[in-house]
Amino acid sequence: MNTPQLVIPYVSADYAALVPTFVVAVTALVVIVADLLTPKKMRRAANVAVGIIGLIAAGVLALQGWGHPIAAFGGAFVNGGFAIVFQEIVIVAAVFSLLMSYALGREDQSGGAIALMLWSASGAMLMAGAANLMTVFLGIELLSLALYCLCAMSSRPGARESALKYLILSSTASGFLLYGMALLFGATGSVALSAFANPPASSALFDIGAGMFLIGICFKLSLVPFHVWTPDVYEGAPLPVTAFMSVVTKAGTLAVLARFAYAALPSPHGAAIMLPVWIVAALSMIVGNVAALAQTDLKRLLAYSGIAQLGYIVASLAGTTAFGLRYAIFYLGAYTFMNLGAFAVVALLSRDRDEGSQLTSFNGLGYRQPILAGAMTFFLLSLAGLPPTAGFTGKILILASAVNAGFVWLAALLVVGTAISVYAYFKIVRAMYAQTTGAPIRRAVVPASALPWACVALCAVATLVLGFYPIVPSDVLPLVK
Amino acid sequence: MPVDIANYISLSTVIFFIGVIGVVTRRNPLIVLMSIELMFNAANLAIVAFSKLWGNNAGHIFVFLVVTVAAAEAAIGLAIVVQVFRRAKHVDLDEVAGLRG
Repeated sequence: MNTPQLVIPYVSADYAALVPTFVVAVTALVVIVADLLTPKKMRRAANVAVGIIGLIAAGVLALQGWGHPIAAFGGAFVNGGFAIVFQEIVIVAAVFSLLMSYALGREDQSGGAIALMLWSASGAMLMAGAANLMTVFLGIELLSLALYCLCAMSSRPGARESALKYLILSSTASGFLLYGMALLFGATGSVALSAFANPPASSALFDIGAGMFLIGICFKLSLVPFHVWTPDVYEGAPLPVTAFMSVVTKAGTLAVLARFAYAALPSPHGAAIMLPVWIVAALSMIVGNVAALAQTDLKRLLAYSGIAQLGYIVASLAGTTAFGLRYAIFYLGAYTFMNLGAFAVVALLSRDRDEGSQLTSFNGLGYRQPILAGAMTFFLLSLAGLPPTAGFTGKILILASAVNAGFVWLAALLVVGTAISVYAYFKIVRAMYAQTTGAPIRRAVVPASALPWACVALCAVATLVLGFYPIVPSDVLPLVK
Repeated sequence: MPVDIANYISLSTVIFFIGVIGVVTRRNPLIVLMSIELMFNAANLAIVAFSKLWGNNAGHIFVFLVVTVAAAEAAIGLAIVVQVFRRAKHVDLDEVAGLRG
């Protein structure tokens, strides 16, 4: 008689590939328990400390997998150089955001908020290695659902409205993404991204599916014309959440986009499918920088600047060359540090209920806080792509990659976008050094703790060092086994 | 008599576009959330139909994951709508336009 056998086809190595993601998710649970157990006086510190220890442990564990690529769970999660680099970027951004949230105090660092931030990070870490439609969808939704709550948790006016707007627009984008996934599944009969590289003959279904999938992805990356939600949500959310979002959602989604473009598309046909994405990237560089010119709120300005920066990174993938991917990852790393550095400076200017993100709070900062103003100038130089910074090196590499891949028009638009962005960023520099009258000058900065200063210093050092030693990970390919 | 796959996909497309039109035209966030559910469930129908067509059971599992995520999404969406309502005493997406684009 034939008895059905219970077979668990997964080995311990499969689970090992997911350990860093699990560690971050479980740390979130530990934070909630710690929030209940610790006395009220040290609750904040305990929550943040547990969160950071968990993240650092996850970062160390993730590095153990370097050089041992594995396609875990039947290819659902591919752990290799590519996934690890993105996971490390997510972890760095989460650690800096937690440090900022500790310094800012108030509602941002209750156990619940920190746990949500960790779950969101674990979603992004899942996306970094996601190699089939199910893991991609789960990662994106884990990331987004936690962020909707985080955005709504602030008591600032407009925060809940912006969270509602974010939820509705982002869920609609998820709907497009999911329907695109359904059509891709229908065209190929498989949920694995690697199986898409040779779709069956009838490919109209595949094209429509890929189009809807890419619309969803471009929305999550907030590329023009899917960017309208970004400035409002950035402005409404608490500052540490904004800093977190500006890096983590982008890193996770970029990992999915890169894997889709490099590993999931049939080679001659894929170029045509991806062409609209490169055009969208070019639009983002121009529109993002032009819109940044008009902003008087730092968070809105950084939102538009982020749209443009993501345009540069996606442009680096144009033509899907191996070097393009490496340069995109390098620029993402540089963007992480210069962007978080700028947010940490804003955090240092914050007061209770007032986030110091108005452009006027920078008036005369160069005379009140020369070191802080110098650091901000350095981060803005990097964002604008001027030497001697990581932003400059990264942009040169992206230009080289775009020209090599035959996208000269993209490289030309990148230069135009950069030229516009210089004006937008130097508005802040001018306020710091030239604007000593006019709006009321705020009192000198008294930091709540040394932590945001540590963030600023670490980001500045990383931006400087990466500018001279462009560490470009070389074994990020292959993406799918 | 087996139903042709095209029928399933046509129905699913129609439901999806009803959802899209609902999101675009309706101003009540509750109706918009319902429309988003329609979009998700249209995708579910398509996935199940394709799963049967290809004989690939991965689709069934995918649908269970989507149903779970959609439930979580609705829960969070309703919670945020309640929070906005507490502050504003009315829920209309045009009134929530205190934010520039």
